Amino acid sequence: MAGAFTYAPAIAALPFVSFLVALFLGDRMPKGGALAGIAATAGSLLLSAWVALTVAGGATYNQTLYTFIEGIDTFELTLGILIDPLTALMLLIVSLIAFLVHVFSLGYMNDEGETGLPRYYAGLGLFTFSMLSFVYASNILMAFMFFELVGLCSFLLIGFWFREAAPPSAAKKAFLVTRFGDYFFLVGVVGIFATFGTGAFAGAESFPAIAEQALNGEAEVTTFFGMDPQTWFTVLGLLVLGGVMGKSAQFPLHTWLPDAMEGPTPVSALIHAATMVAAGVYLVARMYGFYALSPTALAIIALVGGFTALFAATMGVVKQELKQVLAYSTISQYGYMMLALGAGGYVAAVFHLTTHAMFKALLFLGAGSVIIAMHHNENMWDMGGLKDRMPVTYWTFLSGSLALAGIVPFAGFWSKDEVLFEALIHGLGSDGGLGTVLLAAYAMGLLSVFFTGFYTFRMVFLTFHGKPRTETARKPHGVGWNVKFPLAVLGVLAATIGFLNMVPLEKLTGIHLSFLHDWLAHGGIEMTTSETYGTLLHDVAGVTAHYPLGELGTTLASAAVSLGLALAGVGTAWSLYNVDEPTEHTDKLGSLKTVLMHNYYQDEYQVWLATGVTYPLARAADKFDQGVVDGVVNGVSSVSLFGGGRMRRLQSGVVSNYATLITTALVVLLVAFGLIGGWF
Amino acid sequence: MTQLALQMTQSSWTALAPTLLLGLSALALLLVDSISPEESDSTLLAGVAGLGSLAAAVTTMVFLFGGRGLPTEQGGQGIVSLFGDQIVVDQMSLFFTFIVASVVTLVVVASSDYLRDHRYKAEYYTLVLLASTGMSLLASANSLAIAFISLELASLPSFALVAFLKSNKGSVEAGLKYFLIGALSSAVFAYGISLVYAATGALQFDAVATAIGEGVQTGVLGIGILMIVGGVAYKTASSPFHFWAPEAYEGAPAPISAFLSSASKAAGFVLAFRVFLTAFPVDVAGAAIDWVLVFQVLAIVTMFVGNFAAATQEKVKRMLAYSSIGHAGYVLIGLAALTGGVDQSQVLGAGMAHLLVYGFMNTGAFLFVALAEYWGVGRTFEDYNGLATQAPLACAAMTVFLFSLAGLPIGGGFFSKFTLLMATVNSGTWLLGAALIINSALSLFYYTRVVKAMWIEDPADGLELDDYPVGLYTAVVAAGVVTFLLLPGFDVVIGFAESAASLV
Repeated sequence: MAGAFTYAPAIAALPFVSFLVALFLGDRMPKGGALAGIAATAGSLLLSAWVALTVAGGATYNQTLYTFIEGIDTFELTLGILIDPLTALMLLIVSLIAFLVHVFSLGYMNDEGETGLPRYYAGLGLFTFSMLSFVYASNILMAFMFFELVGLCSFLLIGFWFREAAPPSAAKKAFLVTRFGDYFFLVGVVGIFATFGTGAFAGAESFPAIAEQALNGEAEVTTFFGMDPQTWFTVLGLLVLGGVMGKSAQFPLHTWLPDAMEGPTPVSALIHAATMVAAGVYLVARMYGFYALSPTALAIIALVGGFTALFAATMGVVKQELKQVLAYSTISQYGYMMLALGAGGYVAAVFHLTTHAMFKALLFLGAGSVIIAMHHNENMWDMGGLKDRMPVTYWTFLSGSLALAGIVPFAGFWSKDEVLFEALIHGLGSDGGLGTVLLAAYAMGLLSVFFTGFYTFRMVFLTFHGKPRTETARKPHGVGWNVKFPLAVLGVLAATIGFLNMVPLEKLTGIHLSFLHDWLAHGGIEMTTSETYGTLLHDVAGVTAHYPLGELGTTLASAAVSLGLALAGVGTAWSLYNVDEPTEHTDKLGSLKTVLMHNYYQDEYQVWLATGVTYPLARAADKFDQGVVDGVVNGVSSVSLFGGGRMRRLQSGVVSNYATLITTALVVLLVAFGLIGGWF
Repeated sequence: MTQLALQMTQSSWTALAPTLLLGLSALALLLVDSISPEESDSTLLAGVAGLGSLAAAVTTMVFLFGGRGLPTEQGGQGIVSLFGDQIVVDQMSLFFTFIVASVVTLVVVASSDYLRDHRYKAEYYTLVLLASTGMSLLASANSLAIAFISLELASLPSFALVAFLKSNKGSVEAGLKYFLIGALSSAVFAYGISLVYAATGALQFDAVATAIGEGVQTGVLGIGILMIVGGVAYKTASSPFHFWAPEAYEGAPAPISAFLSSASKAAGFVLAFRVFLTAFPVDVAGAAIDWVLVFQVLAIVTMFVGNFAAATQEKVKRMLAYSSIGHAGYVLIGLAALTGGVDQSQVLGAGMAHLLVYGFMNTGAFLFVALAEYWGVGRTFEDYNGLATQAPLACAAMTVFLFSLAGLPIGGGFFSKFTLLMATVNSGTWLLGAALIINSALSLFYYTRVVKAMWIEDPADGLELDDYPVGLYTAVVAAGVVTFLLLPGFDVVIGFAESAASLV
């Protein structure tokens, strides 16, 4: 049957072809390879849609396509494709955003007369290929490989304007920081292979399945350092989490993301907002069956997520540049997803991942549109009053902002509410440390709702409302259809995509509205459905729900609290910044503002770690290498050369010496072996 | 009955064809020379010599693949034994004849250029072929008398060949020294043979073994065996009988150095393998002398002496000479690791396989030196600076030889050293294995010096090669290609080597 799955490899292969085309033929093509990229991503989008429809029909796909290392009496290393509802959803998101970003790039890059376009489109193509391959990777090694490839593309694209000072440095930073996390990931991958003998995500022979059996005493696994299986699985999970925290910019590895804004804005939208940053969260969701077995890992994930959400939101409050605000907001929103995953809200996390991809891509593209208009000035204090001059951008940006702030009925409200709701009920219901941690994480998540509302609308008001504060803002540069079209598509989606899963409304009205729950709960491959995860969470990790006000009451109360806080944030911003001539109210924060502007001195302490700790360590290692290791090596070689010199001297050149030596040696041998052999 | 016997005789005679081909070509060369004594047409003489040796090499190969020298029970055509078991043609003799004949072919092809400005070409080729006849006969020798005669047949022309450059003092001096040490060693060898004969009353190898089994005077036999070890050590250039080698190899024309260090060494080893496994098997001769221990001592000493001395040389040819001594030490593992209970075919086969690979890579390396001498670039490492800019192909081949000699996986030397190492592991002679590893590591140092000089260093001013001799190039490149092909093709070599080793 030549169904959609037969063509699944083409979803990733098409952008790869566009990468090759842009790289080798981009110079000779009218738009520097843009058209190839648009065609390829449109193809991927259509195929993804077909795949999603097939999956909706109940089919799944889990197939090894290529074995690149045959294992003899051990595991094999393979490449394969795994498509279940989660994959299908993510494929759709990635290919949609990639397509829109390619279109937008026509306006942002081509129309602005940028040079190096083939390199740009080659980077986008390679990224899209890698990301899509990562999404449907069937095992963790393949996932790791493409995880690294998207990291590489991120590096290349952040540093696109490599002739300026800041972008290459930012690219390097992004590469190094995420790499730091990836070391743990790699160790985790090796550990998983060593423990389970497989890296498969799904199926009866997958490592989450084996891990569960091992905890039930039905399977044997190799653990290390004398740990019991549960502890060891926690260790493995946390190792992989290292990569996740790097890629999804979670505290303390979030520092690279704000700097990554040095890249072109469409790149920020695609890579550093909607897709690559989501790779970390997606990975946790992909192997959720494994994390669900370890309450400790869940607690850590939730805590990291909640803390990051609040931490980043506070920094977003004082930023002056449009993209910086969005960057911190991105970090904060991924914190929510991690919080959801840690709190057992698998569906909530995926839901928020979906809505966030839409509205954050929209906001970035909107910001890109503003930046075009402002002749690449990103400082919000130089803007103001743009709403009348660029209405399409304004209204779509507003749609995205409402979604981000979590105002009903925009997308972000439904997903963020569900995240907080899950954290709350599981925090209340779970016993022991896990419950406490979840409640603490919930509190942080809740608090950051207020900040989110505030910084979002501070950004909106400063940019679009009031009076223009500079000449450029008075006469902005116009934008073309290729900018407005992606904005319009995403603007509509940001407003509506939340309808996928309106849990509070469902509970209120009794009408079935939680479609995403259905999508993820059924029809997946055994062990990868949200239903299984729910059972696992409850049985193994001890995550239990508790509704203090009854199910409906709790739901509504939670929604009301988060909406109230969001509105409070928006309202504060309204009163402070929706005026003709806004002033820098954040100055009133005093020294706190300095701390916030310096991002809590995160960069400073990381630099100190590098120069104050790592560098002396490296020097010590170098000393050891130069002195001890080289010393031994040199010693050996001088002894050898000295010995060699002695050997040479034996060869005197006088033949009678040789005869003497030969005869003596023979006599010595005769005597020695005569004594041994007892001849005498 | 008579007819059958005749048939058998005919087929038996043909088994010696490779040896006969070598000898007959030598005679043919003398004939050509006497018809036109002033004929200095290098091509004709080299052609006759080259064709003769190539024919011998091809014949042995045909024999090997055709199953000659393999017992009929194993699907072969049977082991041929001639002259009342004085001469035997089995897979081992064919294997070594192949090494000798292919080395001679390379050497002859290379010599056609090397000798361009020299006189007495016919004599040169004749001597080479006569020596190789002796060597291939040595591979078939099945009695101590034949062994001694073929050893002399191999040695005497070699003395003359080393001294071939009559106007070159170094060459003449080297020849004389070689002759003197050779005379001493031959005396030791002959005395050893006489003592063994005195103890056992037999010269034929199997008869010797039988006699020892029936009980002999161990003292006399032990001294005799040890002296035969001396003779073998001389021929293989192993310590402490190696003193002739550096000087002879350095003084001789480079193709002759290649010939002596590859073919002559192989011939020495085949003699050792056959004598010690057939005439003095460990289980019977062990009472008189534990010759495995003797070879262990010799192997370790030889490895260290050869490699350590090579490390401090300034001249490439002399470095190769010492490295050739070191390699004799490696091959000695084939005898030294024959401790009780170990699989003989594996250990001995490893030594044989290494000799075959070594035959190509070492010959190639010396022929490259011949090429350098031909160009007159000088003898030291520094003189080779930047040669790759002028002769990249030859330098690439040389790089393959050197790295393969060191045991890097760029040529067959990697696998042959590896099988030797496995032999030491399987026999538990870890000291030999350690010596092998240490010395291989050390050898990488001095081989790399040549590679570095050729490829990395800047050429000296005015380094200009205007002439690319076809014969030398052909020989060097052919040896390089074979060395490289022996990496994937090592299975075939080790297959023959192990099956041959199991027959002795």
